[in-house]
Order: sequence, then structure tokens, then C-alpha cells
Amino acid sequence: MITRDLEFEINRDEVLRQIDCYEDSDLYEEIIEEYEEILDEIKSLCEPVFLMEYGKIGPELASDELLEGTPVLMVLYSIGEKVSEYSTEAFRRGDYLKGMLSDAMADSALFSLEKSFTPYLKEACAAHHMGIRRRLEAPQDVSMTAQKIVFEKTRAKELCGMGLSTGYMLDPLKSNAVLYVLTKDREVFMHQHNCRNCDRYDCKMRNIPDVPVKVVKGSQIGTIMVKERQSILDALMERDASFTAVCGGKGKCGKCKIRVLDGYLPVTSFDEACFTESEQKEGMRLACKAFPAEPLQIELCFKSESDFMVVSDYEESSEGRTSAIEREDDLGIAIDIGTTTIAVQLLSLKTGEKILTHTTINHQRNMGADVISRIKASTEGKKEELRASVRRDLSEGVRHVVQEAGILPEKVKKIAIAGNTTMVHLLMGYNCKSLGVYPFTPVNIALIEDTYEKIIGDDFLSAEVRIMPGISTFVGGDIVAGLYACDIDRKEACSLLIDLGTNGEIALGNCRKIMATSTAAGPAFEGGNITWGVGSIEGAIAGVTIENGAAVVRTIGDKKPTGICGTGVVESVAELIKAELVDETGCLDDDYFDDGYPLAVMEDGTKIVLTQQDIREIQLAKAAVRAGVETLFLRYGISKEEVDHVYLAGGFGFKLDCQKAIEIGMIPEEFSGKIEAIGNSSLGGAVKCLLQEDGWERASAIGSRSEEINLSADKDFNQFYMDYMFFERG
Amino acid sequence: MSIVQEISEFLQKGRAKNVKALVQQALDEGIDAKTILDEGLLNGMMVIGGKFKRNEVFVPEVLVAARAMNAGVAILEPKLVEMGNEPIGKAVVGTVKGDLHDIGKNLVVMMLKGAGLEICDLGVDVEPETFIAKAEEIGADVICMSALLTTTMPNMKGVIELLTEKGLRDKYIVMVGGAPVNDSFAEEIGADYYTPDAATAAEVAKKAVEEKKAN
Repeated sequence: MITRDLEFEINRDEVLRQIDCYEDSDLYEEIIEEYEEILDEIKSLCEPVFLMEYGKIGPELASDELLEGTPVLMVLYSIGEKVSEYSTEAFRRGDYLKGMLSDAMADSALFSLEKSFTPYLKEACAAHHMGIRRRLEAPQDVSMTAQKIVFEKTRAKELCGMGLSTGYMLDPLKSNAVLYVLTKDREVFMHQHNCRNCDRYDCKMRNIPDVPVKVVKGSQIGTIMVKERQSILDALMERDASFTAVCGGKGKCGKCKIRVLDGYLPVTSFDEACFTESEQKEGMRLACKAFPAEPLQIELCFKSESDFMVVSDYEESSEGRTSAIEREDDLGIAIDIGTTTIAVQLLSLKTGEKILTHTTINHQRNMGADVISRIKASTEGKKEELRASVRRDLSEGVRHVVQEAGILPEKVKKIAIAGNTTMVHLLMGYNCKSLGVYPFTPVNIALIEDTYEKIIGDDFLSAEVRIMPGISTFVGGDIVAGLYACDIDRKEACSLLIDLGTNGEIALGNCRKIMATSTAAGPAFEGGNITWGVGSIEGAIAGVTIENGAAVVRTIGDKKPTGICGTGVVESVAELIKAELVDETGCLDDDYFDDGYPLAVMEDGTKIVLTQQDIREIQLAKAAVRAGVETLFLRYGISKEEVDHVYLAGGFGFKLDCQKAIEIGMIPEEFSGKIEAIGNSSLGGAVKCLLQEDGWERASAIGSRSEEINLSADKDFNQFYMDYMFFERG
Repeated sequence: MSIVQEISEFLQKGRAKNVKALVQQALDEGIDAKTILDEGLLNGMMVIGGKFKRNEVFVPEVLVAARAMNAGVAILEPKLVEMGNEPIGKAVVGTVKGDLHDIGKNLVVMMLKGAGLEICDLGVDVEPETFIAKAEEIGADVICMSALLTTTMPNMKGVIELLTEKGLRDKYIVMVGGAPVNDSFAEEIGADYYTPDAATAAEVAKKAVEEKKAN
């Protein structure tokens, strides 16, 4: 059959979406005007036609899924060639916008035909006493040969002068051929294209409704809408449920546990690796790999980090907190942008008195816990999102300290920022691509000076901002700040600075020479990749002693234990070695080998254990730090005894029992008695730069003078790394 | 800001009227037509093309900028012809035999023009012989082929084989693009470049032509 009696419509929103024109575009109004201008003409150029024929699948199209002889309705529909001609002509004369718009309008008109020919499909189904089981379209569902067959069977050439190219494309271009697979079940009528089954994710016509997921947490219930190809974890984060994806949402760290209470959520290979069969049956899944296709009700089994206790203070003091304000001193703000946390400190520029410190999670964590996953996220299109996130954290932190202290924004004259190279790149909106690939060249690591508005994107303050210079991609401004804070560049005797985090940065030097390096310790020191690992949250096990074979633990905030943080892991391992439950190769005693060593019992009776795998993680991490230290001394050409001071920086170093670190061989025994935990030395250096006249000069000199040692291809490092994998003191 | 810079700025905003007026004004002030073209119009297109690649702007912004460029070029054209200005290079562009897809190819033509190349648009369903005959006729540097289907993609190979057969392969820079095409396919059929989008195509074509001319 053939008919031209068909209604069509052009959907404006669909057209605009197809050409990537969104409401926030400056051109939005202008494009709508053009659209309206040509709408009537385009409509008049549309010449809809519909052809349909009943037939059976022949040998050319037969497959295991589509048997030969299967009855089908072959349909061909078109809006003619005139709109395409209009578009080509518009492009030819340089009116590209009209060309693009008319092409998208043609698509919209073409697809709208499906609705208007549906009654003909129903009629045909009724006539053959059948229903429609599936809709097939080339080339996604069937081969292009289907187009040829439909073209021939519907006699499109004879009936309406259509053509077919040698590649089996229909002419006019704005035509479509469809096979409707029929079934004897007359009740079925699945004639619509199902976007969920289609893998053309970039298709602008793709239309999949968001899936509502009810989230239960304690007594609270909320609903989130999960978009297509969005994980439940991402949807939760959009709603500002801050949570650490230690692995950056790759399904590896097993932290984002949820339980399905109602509805169906398929088990992924990641779930299989993470959960036992019975846990899977109970509905346990990883939120980062959960892509719901139907409404669900879930329960969160992980701790949100709103109660994250940030250890930021390098020497907290609130003395004379109001006196500086009363005296109307000029004020400054020092900021440390850590990969995990951000610290903002308000102080008097005159006396250096600390007025107020505010700490927050670096919300970029939601896009990856470590610098590598942030670099990856940045190069994969999240650059602006990452920049906006850190700008928001900084601006909120600054507003908080200013308002809390009750001072006028004008009183803040200077701001100093320190952070690692990646954090600075993300803040400045630099392209991070070169940070992640050999030879790891940073875009800019020099001292940056600009206005608050330019750097933070907020006009709340008019202060000048300076960002600490760095040494390399791997050793950034946070380390320069630390070196400066400890006056390493002034001392005759050599000092060592170790900043323990996901990346352990190590610097060694004196007033003449400084060498620095960075070693990939991994997230173990921050509780990452540890079975029961958590950040420094309340209830995290931070201290461990083993008495008579049983563990006695101390938790942060003296709360009921919920997991183990980095220091807890180090202490557990040190104690297990002392109790001879772990041998020097890192092997856990036979009794605990399979299920891990029990540290504590949670309220619900679940045991918190340290597993063999956790011990391996710590071995890797501590070997990386130790090998970095050893290599640096070798390259610098001095012995460990010659070092006067060892500064241990970072939140982890601050809480770490140095003796335990020596016991597991992470820190050389020679340093015993020389170690000083200095907390956040990055913030400390930023503060000092605000107060000392020659601060920036010295920081710049440290940045440019320091030599970086690259460990990735260093033979000695690799040897040390193997040597220090074992648990031996020395 | 100089008037030429202003032309570039207005072009980036897609303000065809302002671009037209300023190009005329610049000519009246005695500024060299080639300078207006290179530093005003083409510079503006290069900036917008870069922004498009970095996802800072979308298709509509590029379309209106290109339209503004076209308006500016129309005014410059007589002058450029008069002074015998040569484009940086010439290209023939078409969708291969059996394939009727038009829009992607049109966007490539638009961006190549924006990079300062002279374009011969062969349209769609182009015979292999036509690509080569036209390229020979106009003295092209580049042959650009588009294909949107896996069934028509092999026809790109046909054109390259025909070029080789005729002993003309080294004479041309061959570029390919389209949804199913990728780097490894380009390598397999012996094309010089694959580019994933029109803006990149323009950048690569410009660079390749300049390198070719330098040798």
C-alpha cells in the first residue's frame, strides 16, 4: 500500500537539542528566531509518504534470531527530497545555520511520521491476526540489505520514484525503512523503537526517561532520579551526598555498597568480585556500577562523609582571636588545597595571629580520590566541573571565615594558596593532559599572581592572590610551602621532609641544595584499598595494641568502631609483627590467613578484620616510601646519620606513631629521635609567605632551585622497593 | 583594539552585520585585504574552532561564526581576486559512492573554508573517478572523503587504490572521516589522516598543506 495522507510535526525542542543549542547559550533567542523564520517554508517542503507491504524473512536476512519465513511488515516512509535540497543550498551559499536547522527539522518531521502511520500498522496486524514483536532498523538491528529488500518489496521506485544507492541508502536522504517482526500473539504491539536496546548513545533523538530510585538511610527516605548511563553513585553525588569513591568509581575499592530492597538491579562482574553469592542474593551491589533500568528502593550501606573529621591543624590556636579584629589589622587568608581536604585560615597580617580556620572536604573527590583519577576525569570532559568544584569549595571556605569572624571583606588584603601541581592546574583551568603522559610536563608551575575574582571566579573579595610555585608535575607547591615552612632552605645541616598521602613526596636538602621526589604510595595510608578502610571519620580505628593475642583498639572520637583509618592499619601491622602473627615476608599466621585478623566487633556483630590482602597493600605502600627515601639519600650523596631533622607532614603523619612506622620499616631507624610531626606544612608555608616580606622570593627560589628525581625508571629505586617490601627494621 | 582584531572578535560572536561593516571600513581605511582575511576573519574562525574542540562552544556558535565569515569574505572577494591572492591550499570534498549523507560533509567544507582553503564541494554519492578528476582539474592539495555507513566505508579505499593505480597517490593529502571511520581504518586503507570532527579536520588539513608546501 501507499499513502500520502499523513500528519507530521516539527518539534522545536527536539530540533534545538539535535544541533546542540541549549537554553544557556547566548545564541538561544537568535536561533529560535531563525527557526520560526523558516518553519513555514520547511513545512511546505515536506512531502510525506508511507509504503507498507506484508512479507516473510527470506534467506538474505535470516539469522539465529530472525528465522527464515518469519512474517514481517515492511515499511518505508519519507518526507521527500525538498528539505534536503533546501539544506544543501543553504550550506552552499554560506548560511550554515539555516542549513543545519533545516536538516534537523527534516529529521524531526520524518520521525514524527511514525506516530501518524501507527493506525496503518494496527490495521495490517488485525488483517493478518498478528501482533508486533520487534522493530528492526538498519544498520543497528539488521544489515543494510534490509533496506534494499524493503525498497524492492514496497515497490518504492515504481510507486513514488524513490531511489537506492549502491550502499543501499534510500534516496531521498530523509527516508527510513523498518521491518516490524510479527508474532501470533495479537496482544503484543511493540512497534516503537526502544532506545534502551540501542547502542547509539550519542544519538540526539535518544529519549530514555530517568529512573526514580528511593533511597533509605536510617529513618530518612529520599528519591533520586537516575539518568541513563548514570550510576546510582553519580546520581547520589549530584544530590550532594558526599562520599569517597576511593577508586574513582571504577568498581574496584568496594566502598560504595548499597542493598536493593525492592526492584531489580542486575549483578555485575564487579558485584561478583566484591560480594559473596548470598550477599548478592540479599541485594548487595556496588553503587558505582549500578545502572538501574527500572524503579528501585535501595538502602545505603556506606558512611556518608558529612561527619568526616578533618585533621588540618598544624598548630591550632585561637588565642587573641578577637584582638586582631579589634585592632583593625589588615588580614590575610592562607589556603591549602589538598587532594582530600581543603583548609582555609584567616590571620592578622600584622601579628600573624590565627583568627579562624575552616576545613572542608575537597569535593572533587567525587570525581576520583587521587590525582591520577582527577587528571583522567579532567581530560575526559570534566575539566570545568572540577574547576567549578574547587572554586566553590574555596569561595565557600573564604566566605565562611570572613563571616564567622565578623569582619568586613575589604579587610582581607592578601591570599596565599598552596597545593600540589594537579590541584593548581585544576583550579586554574589548565589542560591536565600533559600531567598524565610522559614526559609529564606541567602547563605552569611558576608563581601565579592575580585578583581573587580572576582566580576564584567570585567578586566577594578584592584581595590579591598568589599561588605557591612548584618544582615539577609530581612535586608541587605544597612541598615548596613545606620546605619553606621548615626553613630547610636556610639551614646549614640537611633536613628531610616527608609528606605522607596518596603520593608520598620526599624532599632532602639544606641552604645549598635541595632534591625532591614523589613516590606512588597508593591510597592505603588513607584507608583506601583496605577491606575495612575508612577515612579519618568518627569511629575509625586509629590505634591498636595486641595484648595476650587479642587486639585493643582506640577509635577517633571514642565512638563504636566502624572501620580502620590509615594510622590504624600501620599500628595493626606493627603489633601483628611484634606478636609474631605476621612473619617478615608479610604472611599472616595460618589461623587468620583465610578470614583475617579480628580487630573489633561492630554493633551489629560484624567483625572488623585486617586481611592478608590489606597487609600486602601496606607492604607496597611502605616499600614505596622507604625506597623513595633511600634513593634520595643515594642521589644526594649523604648518609642518613648526617640528617638533623626529619619533618613528617600531612594529616596522616600528624597522627602516626613514629615508632610504629619504624617498626614496619617504613622509616629508617636512624631517624629515631629526630622526627617531628608538623601536620599541614603546606598551609603553614602559605601562612608564612603572607607574613614574611621575602616569602614569595624564597618560595620561588626553592621552586626553581630544587632538583627533581624521577623514580619511575630508577634502577636503584626498584631494587630498594623490592628490598624494603619485607618487614625488617633497619 | 585594532579594527582587524575587532573583526575577529565580532566574527567569534557570530555578528555578521558588524563583521560586514568593519571589513568594509577596514578596506576604506586602506588596510590590506589579505591582512583582513588572515588576521581578522580566519583568525576568528581558528579561535572558535579551537573552542569547539575543547567543548567550550557548540555547533550553533560555530555556525553563526562561519556565517559571519562568509559575509566578510563576500566583501573581500573582489579585492582578493584583484590582487591575485592565492588560498593556502585547495581541497576537493565529498561523500563517497553509495552514501547520501550530506550534513557532516557540509560541516567539514565550512570549517575548511574557515581555515583558508579553497574548496570544491563534490556533493554526495561521488564516484571515485570524480574525486580524482576534479582534484586534478583544480590542482587540489587535499582529497577529503566522508562515509557514514560501514557498507560505504570501503569505497574510500577504492579512491585511494585508483589514485595509486594512476600514479597520483603521493600528489595528494588524503583525509577521511565519518561515524564508522577511525584511525586504524584510515591506516588500513592507506589514508593520510583521520579526524573525528570538522574542526580537527580543518586544523589538520591546514597544517598538512603548509607542510606539503614547505617541502
